[in-house]
Amino acid sequence: MTLITDIRDYPWSSLLAGILPARLTALLPRRFQTAGSQIVPPGSIAGHALTVVIAIMTFLACLTAGGVYMVNQSAQAWVDDIASEITIELDPLNTADIEKKMTLVSLFLAKQKGITKVRPLTAEDSVKLLEPWLGQNASLSALPIPRLIAVEIDRSNPPDIDLIKRSLTENFEGVTLDDHRRWQAEIRTITRSTALGGITVLGLVAAATIAVIISATRSAMASNREIIEVLHFVGANERFIGGEFERHFLGLGVRAGLMGAFAAALAFLLLPLAMHLLGGGAVTEAETRRLLGSGELDIGGYLLCVLVVVVVAGLCMITSRLCVIRVLRSYA
Amino acid sequence: MIRFDNVGLRYGSGPEILRDVTFHVHPGSFHFLTGPSGAGKTSLLRLLFMSLKATRGLIFVFGENIADLPASGRAALRRRIGIVFQDFRLLDHLTTWENVALPLRVMGKRESDYADDVTDLLNWVGLGDRIHAYPEILSGGEKQRAAIARAVIARPELLLADEPTGNVDPAIGNRLLRLFVELNRLGTSVIIATHDYALMDQLDAPRLMLYEGQLKVTP
Repeated sequence: MTLITDIRDYPWSSLLAGILPARLTALLPRRFQTAGSQIVPPGSIAGHALTVVIAIMTFLACLTAGGVYMVNQSAQAWVDDIASEITIELDPLNTADIEKKMTLVSLFLAKQKGITKVRPLTAEDSVKLLEPWLGQNASLSALPIPRLIAVEIDRSNPPDIDLIKRSLTENFEGVTLDDHRRWQAEIRTITRSTALGGITVLGLVAAATIAVIISATRSAMASNREIIEVLHFVGANERFIGGEFERHFLGLGVRAGLMGAFAAALAFLLLPLAMHLLGGGAVTEAETRRLLGSGELDIGGYLLCVLVVVVVAGLCMITSRLCVIRVLRSYA
Repeated sequence: MIRFDNVGLRYGSGPEILRDVTFHVHPGSFHFLTGPSGAGKTSLLRLLFMSLKATRGLIFVFGENIADLPASGRAALRRRIGIVFQDFRLLDHLTTWENVALPLRVMGKRESDYADDVTDLLNWVGLGDRIHAYPEILSGGEKQRAAIARAVIARPELLLADEPTGNVDPAIGNRLLRLFVELNRLGTSVIIATHDYALMDQLDAPRLMLYEGQLKVTP
């Protein structure tokens, strides 16, 4: 009931006035302006330095959350991609006619249940796959490069991979099947590690934000000690006094949070361009794209940034309220 | 309404400022609290207002033992008390009108419900033309009247005033005393701390005499 009463009684109409700078508040329609002056003057709460610090914290949190989201999306797409394919590798050594063997293996695979497409890669295709690492080199074609057959499987009716593997071993010499399970496991490990690292960074950012707000609240209370005493004398309780400070910090949190999130959104928008400009060679760019995908954040990622703003504003509000109540109790 | 039983007060490890103070304030009563400077009048008022804790003894305010009350309980009792400080304690960033309306705002009342009452009271105490003025440009007497208006705007059950006529001329002083008497007739108990004997002589009210930390009630 208390929570419902709190929500009902909250001065929502004045929230906008708390978020906007004072000179813009005067331009708002009357219903969005606070009734009378604010009991705790906004100028006595915190200067621009605190807004900048919270904005930077939000920026870092948005970059971390967005980065982890991007890696997760990219990894998921990669896992989906490689999970629907298997690769057959043919050893070119000790094989008189590799092209004939390619055809035989392809025909064999096409007959198996659960296989939707068989795509033998030409020798040129295999060379191209090595180009990012070995460069364009005419002598590559002289090397015994393994030949590959890409096989797409029907994920709704998957084939018996172990049976196919056994059949290939029994019928063809020097033919191996890679179902990418090892890659999938490694991608999942990397994704989990990235997420864990991201959560740790977010935790540190939250802890730093809380510490900064506690310090700012204590300092604001010290500089407004006289006002707090007068509020006590006229019968204000902890909730009322806490609310007066909390509103200022909520406004500050939303304002600074939006600034930080906007800067992060801008960074994400410019990331593909930055990747292109600073991508280094073809290999680095290819690796970065594998890790981060195209480098573009989708709508889900931007919503995550909005969530970060909400969390930062909530942290500012709750921390300041709890800190005010704690300090008030120490006065008593 | 108010009961002090053998109350003692000392600051830190210093000497006792108040010793064995015992008295009762009944609903609807009017008292002067007097004594020489440094006798402990302000400290006694602060005990009454629960902004100090007694070192010993028992204090009951509106029937509640204040030693047992949580902070929320003390805040609720303070809403039933109006207080006028010697140093006014007006908030410099609020206008006179906003300062006077503060207790009602703290109570959560709507501005539209009390706007006329605040303006009427300010007119009554002679500050009708200073409604939008900030305290820093008010004279000492004007600040005193604004502080009194703030103390009485919520029609408290008990009014405590520390030297309320100390900064005003006799004519305004008499007018303020009439305001206190009027409030008292309407049921508010009043305790005025003063050493203005001319003011006390205007009214036949019991005097709480403080001398060297001890209290004597006359008559």
